Amino acid sequence: MAYQLYRNTTLGNSLQESLDELIQSQQITPQLALQVLLQFDKAINAALAQRVRNRVNFRGSLNTYRFCDNVWTFVLNDVEFREVTELIKVDKVKIVACDGKSKCLP
Amino acid sequence: MDQNNSLPPYAQGLASPQGAMTPGIPIFSPMMPYGTGLTPQPIQNTNSLSILEEQQRQQQQQQQQQQQQQQQQQQAAVAAVQQSTSQQATQGPSGQTPQLFHSQTLTTAPLPGTTPLYPSPMTPMTPITPATPASESSGIVPQLQNIVSTVNLGCKLDLKTIALRARNAEYNPKRFAAVIMRIREPRTTALIFSSGKMVCTGAKSEEQSRLAARKYARVVQKLGFPAKFLDFKIQNMVGSCDVKFPIRLEGLVLTHQQFSSYEPELFPGLIYRMIKPRIVLLIFVSGKVVLTGAKVRAEIYEAFENIYPILKGFRKTT
Repeated sequence: MAYQLYRNTTLGNSLQESLDELIQSQQITPQLALQVLLQFDKAINAALAQRVRNRVNFRGSLNTYRFCDNVWTFVLNDVEFREVTELIKVDKVKIVACDGKSKCLP
Repeated sequence: MDQNNSLPPYAQGLASPQGAMTPGIPIFSPMMPYGTGLTPQPIQNTNSLSILEEQQRQQQQQQQQQQQQQQQQQQAAVAAVQQSTSQQATQGPSGQTPQLFHSQTLTTAPLPGTTPLYPSPMTPMTPITPATPASESSGIVPQLQNIVSTVNLGCKLDLKTIALRARNAEYNPKRFAAVIMRIREPRTTALIFSSGKMVCTGAKSEEQSRLAARKYARVVQKLGFPAKFLDFKIQNMVGSCDVKFPIRLEGLVLTHQQFSSYEPELFPGLIYRMIKPRIVLLIFVSGKVVLTGAKVRAEIYEAFENIYPILKGFRKTT
């Protein structure tokens, strides 16, 4: 079972909205939509683990942190995301992080 | 006198009054009423230093017996004054300044007819322990580095709720059964347990520790728990200071082996377990000293004043 962490991303939200539209127009069942989302979870976790190689560094000041249920949540301020190609500056960023090594639970 | 000004305000009351002939060793100011019924009782002094001096002192008891009897009648104030080596910061009516010296008086023998302990301005100061010269107070004040305190919030807590809703909290029940929360002002860390008990660490003063504990209690209260603030108690205080000269730890462990343990292969500092007050000191070759195990600030100061003359005796001369 993969983390459902990525459902609340641009990609995941677009998928969820599309599925909701299809459910509204009675083209698919809610059960099918759920299966699609589960498949999305597996696919996105696998893709990020296998197909993504680039490295990004970031640095900022820590505003708050939380660790509960093995999930870290950070809020950073004045963050610089640095990749070899480019630099992005942001005032506030929220980071939700799950354990990469161990087996998960949604 | 300059040495008085170098002392923190609450210790200045103990410093020798202006114009006293004493070499600056702290005695109670004449303001302190003597004979209020809180006259120090003879307590067998188990201070490590006094054990060493007992022998020397007893030799001189007879000589000074009568002299001291006259002095005691003349003197209005002053319970007792330490010997030349100034190991014992003796206390007079402890009720007067409860926050200054908690330990009962360390007088060696205050009863009339026993050995001495305070100088009269008329007679010259007779060192009780002729071996060590009279010394003044060190003028160095240990700085508090850490205070550990506990408090009972008085109600059961749901740690998961606290961890999810409070900021700057960690909760990993598999590893440790408490929420670890931190605040920035005063910079401290708290361990909050489901029983409602809490440990607060990292503060640099007693008041800061209490304030921090109150802040944590308020956080818990705002989350909806009926938190109270019961039995706040400071459990440990750590202080450190620098005597500014190198120390011969080997020499110190040889003469004070009952109290010291020094294993340079294990740890570079000498661990000195002072009996009275019950403080553990880590003494390093550089001259830095760490004092821990105190329940009150005065114990740290007292322990340092006790150890300073000893350390001076083991100063490295090369």
